[in-house]
Amino acid sequence: MRWIRVPLLLLLLGTGIPSAADEFPPLSEGPDATEIARKQENVLRGDSAYMEATMTIESPRLPAPRVVTMRNWDDRRNKRSFVRILAPTKDAGTGFLMKRPNLWMFVPRVERTMRIPPSMMLQSWMGSDFTNDDLVRESSQLDDYDHNLLGVDPAPPGHEGKRAWVVEFLPHEDAPVVWGRIVSWIEQEHYSPLRQEFYDEDGVKLRVFELGDIRESQGRWFPHRWSMQPLDKNGHRTTLEIRTIRFDEIFDDSIFTTRNLKRTER
Amino acid sequence: MLELRLAWRNVWRNRRRTGLTVAATVFAVTLVVVFVAMAAGLHEKMIEDAVRLQSGHVAAAGRGYFEERTLDQFLELDQELFDELDGAPGVLGWAPRVISFGLLSKDTDARGVGVLGVDPERESSVTTLAGRLKRGDFVSAEASRGIVLGERLADNLDADLGDVLLLFSQSYSLETAYDLFTVVGVIKFPDITMDRSVAVISLADAQAFFAYEGRASEVAVLAKDADHAAAVAASLRTAIDGDAQVDVRTWDKLMPDLVQFIFIDDAGMYIMLVILVVVVGFGILNTILMSVLERTRELGVLLALGLRPGAVFRLVYVESLLLAGVGLLIGLAIGIPIVLYLQANPIPLGGDLAQATELFGMDPVMTWKLKPMNPIGSCITILGVAALAAFYPALKAARGRPVDALRSV
Repeated sequence: MRWIRVPLLLLLLGTGIPSAADEFPPLSEGPDATEIARKQENVLRGDSAYMEATMTIESPRLPAPRVVTMRNWDDRRNKRSFVRILAPTKDAGTGFLMKRPNLWMFVPRVERTMRIPPSMMLQSWMGSDFTNDDLVRESSQLDDYDHNLLGVDPAPPGHEGKRAWVVEFLPHEDAPVVWGRIVSWIEQEHYSPLRQEFYDEDGVKLRVFELGDIRESQGRWFPHRWSMQPLDKNGHRTTLEIRTIRFDEIFDDSIFTTRNLKRTER
Repeated sequence: MLELRLAWRNVWRNRRRTGLTVAATVFAVTLVVVFVAMAAGLHEKMIEDAVRLQSGHVAAAGRGYFEERTLDQFLELDQELFDELDGAPGVLGWAPRVISFGLLSKDTDARGVGVLGVDPERESSVTTLAGRLKRGDFVSAEASRGIVLGERLADNLDADLGDVLLLFSQSYSLETAYDLFTVVGVIKFPDITMDRSVAVISLADAQAFFAYEGRASEVAVLAKDADHAAAVAASLRTAIDGDAQVDVRTWDKLMPDLVQFIFIDDAGMYIMLVILVVVVGFGILNTILMSVLERTRELGVLLALGLRPGAVFRLVYVESLLLAGVGLLIGLAIGIPIVLYLQANPIPLGGDLAQATELFGMDPVMTWKLKPMNPIGSCITILGVAALAAFYPALKAARGRPVDALRSV
């Protein structure tokens, strides 16, 4: 009966704050929200992963969506990552090396490497709706946030037929986080994230991150399609289709070097 | 006329007292005229310097640009727009710019910069950008991949003339845009933020770099002075004939910080002047009240002889206005020549003061500006204060009863 009392109390206080908690069937006894977040993190992030992906950028500026293909070596255990752009031809060979908290970029046509300054972290990455910060993000949705279970959504948007935990992520005071709040829909069966809504500190919803094409890959139920939609820019959307993914690869240290950035054959 | 002559004589019945009050009024009026002209000169100079540094008196841009400031909002630079700009009355010059941001690096470390693409010839018809060169040359008119850096930016990048820098950004078509630019000049921006973060390239280079052919972010327009900005903006709006894609703004909308500073500065000055004028008002009140009180008998006799209370009231009132008017005239006669002289001969500042003004992006010179509103406003204020101050003594004089008056000493 607690769920009845809470909204009533809010009403009595005259606050009437519209809370996501009101939208979902209540739980008398739910699992620990942090445990759900941990299982989600395990699905998304192995110790390491090799990935081949296609990124499709939609924008009112573009007569047709722009398609970028890339390879990614992600060594999460050692907090380093490497991206090589394969197409379009104009950008082929461009490389990104992330060794937290640094981000280097190599541009082949002029054969120069540069380090992207912290002030530019919230700028768009490769013209997409992902930011540089999304690439090198130091924060962890597990360690840098408090987790509250808001409820269960029996029909998550875009994933009707599945049931999802709805978990609220609130950043710790000192966390290196730009968001005020994240609401995440996490599938009950496999703990794959289905949808994440990002809010700023004033509670304004800024972007929606939707995940789809959840298939089993090396024993993980992994979302193979990631779609980012900024809500402050009309008609913008970036979709990342993961064509190949291999988890728990052992990577050579030589991959994560600025020297490797310049070796455009890789 | 009789009343006026009577009043004039009454005013000078105590020469020393009246003389002192007149002197106070003269002092106040002179101060008001000089101070108001100094503030007007300072503010006009601040506006002109800011306008000539960057904004222009009026700017035209694609709708939404002034809020969003991204490549999404642009002006099509076509013959139609050029004709409209050339044809609008009051437009003395105009300059198209492409404005965006990028990363600039000499070695590995990149810095975020504002990229300003300008047509050097057109730019010099609006701003004094090229005149602020510290060394080297300004960008050339063609696409030549030359870049001019703010002085502090050059220092921070450890770059000097001849160095080849990588400029990286995102084009309008959302592709990565990058190219090598050679440092051809270093410019001294008076504004520290600009000096640290602005890199200038040619309009042609900027259009190619940002995939912005035939487009500009804004067109800055020069008018005769700040007071003509609104008129020029209006004529521009007429010239573009309701083109919903173009937004025209005047300098005060482009630089709200400056407007706010001027407002606060003015407010501080006017509070001081109001205090001064109130003190003068009490001086006048004191003088007139004293003269009414010591004339109780005389005024009583006038009333007893049948002069109407209204006439007595008027008499005292005219005395007060005459008193203030004399001070006002002398004050203006002293203040206006001083201001006119200073307006013709600005005072150059030296030492610390000069450095302080340069910090604000201004030349180290104190200028004055006499606007017609200044002496007119002084007249209205002083006469108004005199009218207020005279009210009580005049009422007292008019209400006196002859019987009481005759009994008084």
